[in-house]
Amino acid sequence: MEIRFAGVTKQFPPDIVALQDIFLTIEKGEFVYLVGPTGSGKTTLLRLVTRELVPSKGRVTVGDVNIRKIASHNLAYLRRNIGVVFQDFRLLPHLTVYENIAFVQEVIGVPCQDVQKRTNDVLDRLGLWRRRSLLPEQLSGGEQQRVAIGRAIANSPSILLADEPTGNLDIDTADEIMQLLLSINASGTTLIVATHNQYVVDAYRQRVIELRKGRLIRDEKKGRYRVDGDY
Amino acid sequence: MGTIRYILRDTWRLLSRHFGLSLLTILTSVAVFFLVGASILFVLNTRYLVEAVEGDLTVQAYVRDTDGALEAVAKKASSYDSVSSVRVVTSDEALERLKARLGKLAEAVTLLDENPLPPSVEVQVRRASYATVIARELIAMPEVEEVVYAGAVAERLQKISYFVSRLSMVVLVVSLASAALVLFNTIRIGVYARKEEIGRMLLVGASRNFVVFPYVLQGVILGTVGAALSVVLLWFSYGMAISTLERSLPFLRLLTDRMIVLRVGGVLLSAGVSVGWICSWLAASRFVRQASRSR
Repeated sequence: MEIRFAGVTKQFPPDIVALQDIFLTIEKGEFVYLVGPTGSGKTTLLRLVTRELVPSKGRVTVGDVNIRKIASHNLAYLRRNIGVVFQDFRLLPHLTVYENIAFVQEVIGVPCQDVQKRTNDVLDRLGLWRRRSLLPEQLSGGEQQRVAIGRAIANSPSILLADEPTGNLDIDTADEIMQLLLSINASGTTLIVATHNQYVVDAYRQRVIELRKGRLIRDEKKGRYRVDGDY
Repeated sequence: MGTIRYILRDTWRLLSRHFGLSLLTILTSVAVFFLVGASILFVLNTRYLVEAVEGDLTVQAYVRDTDGALEAVAKKASSYDSVSSVRVVTSDEALERLKARLGKLAEAVTLLDENPLPPSVEVQVRRASYATVIARELIAMPEVEEVVYAGAVAERLQKISYFVSRLSMVVLVVSLASAALVLFNTIRIGVYARKEEIGRMLLVGASRNFVVFPYVLQGVILGTVGAALSVVLLWFSYGMAISTLERSLPFLRLLTDRMIVLRVGGVLLSAGVSVGWICSWLAASRFVRQASRSR
């Protein structure tokens, strides 16, 4: 699914401008890093894609859908095509690893047998089979991140948004996570990764979009994390 | 299938996670629905009693002793829909009745030269409230000399019946409102406790109905269990109350068939389901609608 930002400005009351006049197209199946200092607007941009936020000005389209025009009762259907990985994982604490991954399928009415099959496949793919009966609090940070990714990909979304997916992880675990994200992208999923992790951006070179103070200041194919070194 | 399983599991989780609160809500519902049921049974018994007394209420029209007068008055009285029965009492019959009533003193009546008692028409009305109207209609007839009826009793019965109905209505409304409020708050606490979780569910594509449904089911279960337990309580306490009243006040005419409790129980269960459904729907859907609103 293609994502398009056309002259998008997002302002929060009273006068905080989180994004300003963004023109951007992310093609279907692309892998994009969003980089920039804290408060530059990376998370706001991701939240516009899931329509947690609506633009103050301009138009965000996901596939053929103008997200502003989508009726709120149809929002669930849009979101089923978008997987989200949060920096703080946001796993459901009272559900086991298996249940966390099965949950996103159950909420959209996937038949029981399919839930079981898909969840087992995801657990296998993420190397979490042995940990399936544990609660999130019994897992390491890397494992929790993998569960969060598993949850995000369980419904085979067209788009995967990852907000700091390697933020709390050591280099080895970050590598593992990046390999995983690359394999997901290889299967045709559009991937947008907001990150502060210079190591992963430089090690796994992809398109880099840099934001600063809400403005898009760099859009580079196979880019590096920074060009001027001042953050 | 997966969805249904999830909803059932989530409902169970909601009930067990706030077990103390769930128990408190059920206990409150039991008390409230018991009060509602008891007041319905009280109204039904009061009405039954009033109807029984009304059935005994007669309007006695004393008729001038002229030819055809008795028949004319009886015919006129029978023509009213509100009249259940009409009986002609001749002078001789009236004298016999008097004698029977006087018992040992009946001999005194034989001292009279002639029978002084006028013939009359006894009219039974369907409702106490009709007695005054019928009495007025009959006294207006030239053949009727005097009309006697328990007007004060009729009016008092009417007032009691009216008062009991109104009082019960107030008890009913207040009780149901309390039940609704308690259920509403329980569900709301549950919703607020899972605020974050609901946000995550919406973000991964859960529809509003999917998020709300476990809460609605929770409300329905709490309301229904409360109502069902109150019916059980009502069944035993009504049986005890009736047998105690029958022993101590045998002249009271009450609804002794306990099937009436089951019929009231049906009403209470429907009320439990409806109140549970409506309150939980209101509590949860409002919150979920707000949570799903984009900023």
